[in-house]
Amino acid sequence: MSVFTDKFSATLPPPTRKSERWKYSPIAKLLNHEIEISKASAQGLNGWPESLMPNPVLNLDAYLVVFKNGVFEPTLSDLPVSDGVDCIPFSKMDQSGPLEFSNVYHQKEWIGELNDTYRQDGLSLHVHRNVKVDRPIVIHHLTDGINVASFPKHLIKVEEGGELNVVIWSSATDRSSGMYNGLLEASIGPNAILSLEKVCNEGGKVFHFSHEHIVQERDSKLKMHTFTIKGDWVRNELEIISRGKGTDSVFNGAYLPLGTEHIDNHTTMDHTSSDCTSSELYRGIMYGHSTGVFNGKVFVRPDAQKTNAFQQNTNIVADRGAAINTKPELEIYADDVKCAHGCTVGQFDLDALFYLKSRGIDEKAAKALLVEAFLADVLSSVSSTELSAEIMSLYTERHGW
Amino acid sequence: MERIDEDKLIDEVTGKSYEYGFTTDIESETLPPGLNEGVVRTISAKKNEPEWLLNWRLEAFKVWSEMKEPDWAHVEYEKPDFQAISYYSAPKQKKELASLDEVDPKLLKTMEKLGISIEEQKRLSGVAVDFVMDSVSVATSFKEKLGELGVIFCSLGEAIQEHPELVRKHLGTVVPQRDNYYAALNSAVFTDGSFCYIPKGVRCPMELSTYFRINQAGTGQFERTLIVADEGSYVSYLEGCTAPQRDENQLHAAVVEIISHDEAEVRYSTVQNWYPGDQDGKGGVFNFVTKRGLCHRASKISWTQVETGSAVTWKYPSCILKGDDSIGEFFSVAVTNNKQQADTGTKMIHIGKRTRSTIISKGISSGHSQNSYRGLVQIHPGAENSRNFSVCDSLLMTDTCGAHTFPYIEAKNPTAQIEHEATTSKIGDDQIFYCQQRGIEEEEAIGLIVKGYAKDVLNKLPMEFAVEAQKLLTISLEGSVG
Repeated sequence: MSVFTDKFSATLPPPTRKSERWKYSPIAKLLNHEIEISKASAQGLNGWPESLMPNPVLNLDAYLVVFKNGVFEPTLSDLPVSDGVDCIPFSKMDQSGPLEFSNVYHQKEWIGELNDTYRQDGLSLHVHRNVKVDRPIVIHHLTDGINVASFPKHLIKVEEGGELNVVIWSSATDRSSGMYNGLLEASIGPNAILSLEKVCNEGGKVFHFSHEHIVQERDSKLKMHTFTIKGDWVRNELEIISRGKGTDSVFNGAYLPLGTEHIDNHTTMDHTSSDCTSSELYRGIMYGHSTGVFNGKVFVRPDAQKTNAFQQNTNIVADRGAAINTKPELEIYADDVKCAHGCTVGQFDLDALFYLKSRGIDEKAAKALLVEAFLADVLSSVSSTELSAEIMSLYTERHGW
Repeated sequence: MERIDEDKLIDEVTGKSYEYGFTTDIESETLPPGLNEGVVRTISAKKNEPEWLLNWRLEAFKVWSEMKEPDWAHVEYEKPDFQAISYYSAPKQKKELASLDEVDPKLLKTMEKLGISIEEQKRLSGVAVDFVMDSVSVATSFKEKLGELGVIFCSLGEAIQEHPELVRKHLGTVVPQRDNYYAALNSAVFTDGSFCYIPKGVRCPMELSTYFRINQAGTGQFERTLIVADEGSYVSYLEGCTAPQRDENQLHAAVVEIISHDEAEVRYSTVQNWYPGDQDGKGGVFNFVTKRGLCHRASKISWTQVETGSAVTWKYPSCILKGDDSIGEFFSVAVTNNKQQADTGTKMIHIGKRTRSTIISKGISSGHSQNSYRGLVQIHPGAENSRNFSVCDSLLMTDTCGAHTFPYIEAKNPTAQIEHEATTSKIGDDQIFYCQQRGIEEEEAIGLIVKGYAKDVLNKLPMEFAVEAQKLLTISLEGSVG
């Protein structure tokens, strides 16, 4: 037993290093923390820190759903109210019937069970048939306080032919510590399109766990981006299940940890149906004494003939003391498929650096240029330029380029 | 503390009772099934081993009893009952057959396809052969020549008696007793194996092969091989049965240790073709092998393997690149058919500066088989300017088989360069059509394409092995037109 499990009990045991999925991301440190769920109710702007804005992407014209320490903040939010879009926090829903969750993550993982047991609130987002939501919806999670835990879970459903863009942004003030354990379940109907951007920009010392479970129906499209700008200990899990024919999944990510940060990206792409394509690109630069983890699984089930799956993970270990552990996996049970993966660990191209320096660009600026080029492939597919510009400027600000 | 003392006491007491209880049994030829400390002592006594080795075995047994059988590999099988195996039987006199007519015709047909000479066929299938048979005399003349150069090549049992200091210095230094479950088991009960020592600066003039010896001594299922290449030496070592011997043993838990001293080079080639079980996956060998080499400064170890046999394979020939500028290589072709399962790959541990490694793995799966590549590339913080390059390709022949890739890459140095790539594909209909148009039968066409696909690895095999390996590939994939 530990201080943590005394407070948050679960039937599943906390994962140890012996568990393959947690081998490179031990959670022993978390278990020594005495963390509590915040008892405060919504406080509006009075409780909001001055250093941050409720809308994290200022230039982006978007709907806004704000949670502080897992508690919905109605006065800071701006929910869409048009026809064909139901966007309601669980806590404000009229009917008290059970929510239609289908993922069984809570039966498989300790982290999932904790979320299921201690869940506070979340957003139910339902886009009706052939409805295209006019503006992106930004869901902003703020962690502010010492040893606070938040357990949100969101449910997104895009019906046939619908279109939706969601940004999930989590931030934390510098004094904060504790845990963020956020789950998301999404289903994309036939011919529907979902763009999902997930950004973690957390100060302080927060253990960040997130798990996205996305099911795609026939001919649907998913575009997903996972950016870790800042985070002391981050674990991003993404699970995509292609359930109908002809789906297309693009999921990219970037991580640039500094200091002693630890960033872990686990992805699973499960092809269960034929004629589908998936493309994955994760790029990371490890600075200081940070550690990066990447684990990408691609399953091609027996019926998933004519699958075209591509997976790439590119890493740069920039400083002595930094480390990357990466494991790109393919599990293939069908023969008429095209599957490839590539994985590299290397350095900045010295020739390119020399080229730039010989033209009068100092080393720092030259490296910044190379980083920008390195990240461009990931950033270029982000759904709005305002968002990609904001992410790039946050990276630039943080790394002092 | 009390607890530990208690355990110790129990160990001492139980240890002692075995010590006396089993000594009388030493004369018997085959031990009853089961494994306990007494069995380990008996094996050691039967082989007239020095005390340090007995203690070494006992330590391994103790470790093994506390370990759990691993289940992380991507294979499914019924775990062997370790108490149902007999761990020692004196070199069995095989029933000698009067002529080739008595040999299983299916076996003969395969041998014919492999291009094995009639004399060889007789020897491999256990037919009584004349003593002047070619290979025997050849073997003897080889031994003389090796002796002149100071090369020691004998069974491990012999080496323990005649060169105990060499064995003691190196045994278990690369694969320690507690390394893994099967290595611990092997350390406790290994019956024999090969020992090879190449003195300083000697370039071994011929390929050393266990081929002769295995058939002479009939080494058992817990084989242990130790190869020591002293400074600046070179040896190419061939292991294996290229012939489709019907091995009755369910479980093979072998250990191979290679020590490559400064500037030495060792090439280790294996062609493994043990009984893979029948079409429904009944029977077949479980091949759980630990193979590892230690590279000192500027030395090189190169593993080449062609795996076509065994029902379940669990094998990762590895290199510990400890010395600066050392090189590790791994070339592998793994073929699985019917219900075979293979989980194989390599580990490259980069510790020294400027160490380099290359991995080329070609998997071919057919029938209902599962073929996995599992590899680890680890760059330690001090491994400046290290380099790794890996390619893992999979070829799928049917829509019921599986091909999987699990590469682990751990980099802790900012100057390291690692590249890994993997692809999965099938034989194109257009490729087969092209061949058929030119009068090449479908089955032959597949053989041709597969050989081309595996060429990168087959080229690394010593010539006499390469021919047989190619034929083996074709035979293993017979009837798997997909």
